[in-house]
Amino acid sequence: MHKAWERSGPAIGARAVTKTYGNGVRAVRGVDLDVPVGEIRAIVGENGAGKSTLMKMFYGLEQPSSGEVLVGGRPRVLGGPASAIGLGVGMVHQNLMLVPSFTVAQNVVLGVEPGRRGRVDLKAAAETTARLAEESGLAVDPNARVDEVSVGMRQRTEILKVLHRGARVLILDEPTAVLTPQETEDLFAAVRRLRDGGMTVLFISHKLREVREISDRVSVMRAGSLVGTVDTSDATERSLAAMMVGRDLSLDVDRAPARRTGVALQVRDVQYAAPTGQSLDGIGFDVAAGEIVGLAGIEGNGQTELAEILAGLRRPTSGAIRVGGTGTAGLDVAGHRRAGIGYVPEDRLRNGAALDESIADNLVVDRHDRAPLARRGLLRPRAVRAHAEQLIEDYAIRTPDASVPVRALSGGNMQKVIVARELSAAPRLLIASQVTRGVDIGAMRFMYERLGAARDAGAGVLLISADLTELLALADRLLVIKDGRLVARFDDTSGLTEKRVGLYMLGVERHDHDHITTGLEEVDAV
Amino acid sequence: MTGTLVETEDRRQYKATRRRGLTVDLSMTLATILAALAIGFLVMLLTGNDPVGAYEAMLTGPLERSFRVGRWLEDATTLTLLGLSVAIPFRARQISLGAESQLYAGALAAAAVAVFLPLPPVVAVIVPLVAAAAAGAGMGLVPGAMKARLGANEIVATLMLNAIVVRVYDYLVNGPLKEPGSSAVHSKSIQQDSALTPLSDWFGIPLGRANVGLLLMVFTAVALWLLITRTPLGYRIRMTGSNPEFAEYGGIRVPRVIEWSFVIGGAVAGLAGAHLVQGVYGRLEPGLAGSLAFEGIVVALLARNNPLVVVVAGLFYSYLRAGGDIMEQQTDVGTEIVVVIQAVIVLLVTAQALPDLLKRRLARREVAGR
Repeated sequence: MHKAWERSGPAIGARAVTKTYGNGVRAVRGVDLDVPVGEIRAIVGENGAGKSTLMKMFYGLEQPSSGEVLVGGRPRVLGGPASAIGLGVGMVHQNLMLVPSFTVAQNVVLGVEPGRRGRVDLKAAAETTARLAEESGLAVDPNARVDEVSVGMRQRTEILKVLHRGARVLILDEPTAVLTPQETEDLFAAVRRLRDGGMTVLFISHKLREVREISDRVSVMRAGSLVGTVDTSDATERSLAAMMVGRDLSLDVDRAPARRTGVALQVRDVQYAAPTGQSLDGIGFDVAAGEIVGLAGIEGNGQTELAEILAGLRRPTSGAIRVGGTGTAGLDVAGHRRAGIGYVPEDRLRNGAALDESIADNLVVDRHDRAPLARRGLLRPRAVRAHAEQLIEDYAIRTPDASVPVRALSGGNMQKVIVARELSAAPRLLIASQVTRGVDIGAMRFMYERLGAARDAGAGVLLISADLTELLALADRLLVIKDGRLVARFDDTSGLTEKRVGLYMLGVERHDHDHITTGLEEVDAV
Repeated sequence: MTGTLVETEDRRQYKATRRRGLTVDLSMTLATILAALAIGFLVMLLTGNDPVGAYEAMLTGPLERSFRVGRWLEDATTLTLLGLSVAIPFRARQISLGAESQLYAGALAAAAVAVFLPLPPVVAVIVPLVAAAAAGAGMGLVPGAMKARLGANEIVATLMLNAIVVRVYDYLVNGPLKEPGSSAVHSKSIQQDSALTPLSDWFGIPLGRANVGLLLMVFTAVALWLLITRTPLGYRIRMTGSNPEFAEYGGIRVPRVIEWSFVIGGAVAGLAGAHLVQGVYGRLEPGLAGSLAFEGIVVALLARNNPLVVVVAGLFYSYLRAGGDIMEQQTDVGTEIVVVIQAVIVLLVTAQALPDLLKRRLARREVAGR
């Protein structure tokens, strides 16, 4: 199919590739890369290290400012994704790009449909899809509608789409971010099989454990440059992390056992009928002061709704919620904050910050009308500034000035602004939702330390995360949510494996109701 | 990705970039005005007029005689107050088009007090002003509450309210409030003590109908600037405008803030009405505000809703209006050309096309030079 490929030379590569964006940012600097045919190559690096930009150049979405991109052994000019696809390069994006109302098969053949005179032969499409699925080991149901299948199957559909177009190089951008451990395992098996069939795979990830599991070799990028390429068998997570950040750094958290000192949060039989999204049914649990309770679950199973109810952004239909001694179910957001709730929202760009306003202004939203920031009805700009400078120092927010708009900060740094605001209010209960999503490894480590410190200072922490590794590393106790109900409760997380929790997330196993509610005191609805 | 660039700057570098950004903004605004004038120049050439003579009349005309200066300042006072009145809701990201109804409500309230209520000196000036501000605020509260509490679209609400209030005003001026025995349509004149002192009395030169309302306007602008930058309410207005979901998350009661932004804007528009009644006309006249209410929106946009800049933009915009009138009187060129120039300026400034272009080029050159 690809006569344009040379017999020798790398399947995909780069020669002194540099990319400077219009606004002057140099995202990729002088990268040389050779990936031979039939290799699974992981590309790792912190956010902003240039991985995505490099991949976009391989897929024709961006053009190098200087240097050359090689496909099939020869330098190529990729004018756009169409020319990349024509040369056998396929990419599966982190955000899956499928037509939700089409069937799996229709999506797979989209753009190169079988059939004649403008008519699509749906039967042939389904057969082709089934055959491709069989060959590659990517199990899908060709006739199911995409909006009715699981995220894992959507991703497999996307890969099949790439295969159907005759790809010989497969770029996977953070493919496991949306998958459960079981689904991840299946994906890896299929990827290995593709490799054995001669496919070259570029695997972009920041989960080092997975990188070690799947890849043949690992290339590490830092600040736009390629720091080095090592055989996976020679690498440890620690050595890779050190290469990524340029110094020795580990994400292992050593923690003393929790010292519980009373109750921070009591939730009893909370019902919530959601207008859109996931409803909640009979949620009940406690968070003690001085412990971190993890909430695991596949995204969209009610985590968002629960977090926003606890923070006062939504009203539950019924049920009782007490923070410290205060019943919060009827209070407004300010009332929840006064009761001692801090909330790191899951989508910081949506409601975690006012992006065009300064760091200083973003740090005072919950306390701008109180002393020392305001006196006699007037804001005191100097106090606001001093407050910001103190937090910038305490939380190591990287910025030249407190007046910088939050939009100008990178993900991890922006998250530090939010965490600084919420933790500096000394909350009785901190709800931390996806606190390390899209932040670099340095900031991740920082968040882990701060959450641990808040716990040890006596705060209750409800940690909601899609990252099981993170939950198992940090949480003293673990709850699992599925379809708006709690389906598992582990009061001891030591010895708990991701795979085991995954079974509960998928609904294969569940704890009975009595186990989940055991030991919960009665609380009167207020 | 730009982020990483800013983060690695030290404070001096950052300040320098900011200063340079400010200089670029300023010089580009000037360049925008020049570009607009050049386009007007071309249009006049193409239509067979004498652009040099026309521009001479337009650009120097308003300053040539002192009463023309007065005409300009009087117009600028009303226009700036109207610009300020919409700038506040705009800061809360509320598209309020209700300045017209608020102005007429203010004018009616001011006239009602200033014509009919005998008051001692000084108090006779202040009470109508306060009444006008209160009436304007009340007229702002209606669409504000409809938006905040009922989720009504504020654009529709304010426009409909305008339609109603303007009709009511016309009815009152043509009927119950019309001066008995007069052939022209207007109300009785206000009492002498209620008039805003003409500036002519202070400076001893004829300045037309310009009056101390000018100072009142500047004072209002400063007060609003302080409100926005130095008070908790101003902070809440800014955050609500920047990201309402963030404001709500932070515990700000967003509906309350929206109402306040309408009320404050309404009060300022009410003052503009009082200025027309107590300072300019001395009575109620039909079509008091002309098209000023909507030009106020343009002024607010030009100033990017910064109260202090609104003053500058209002003065500038009024100058073009005054110059256009003089040009029309003295040359063959009609005021249409002024409209063209204004439109070009508004387009370029609100789109901020030029400054962004230049800043990007500067950034690129700097990187290349590193």
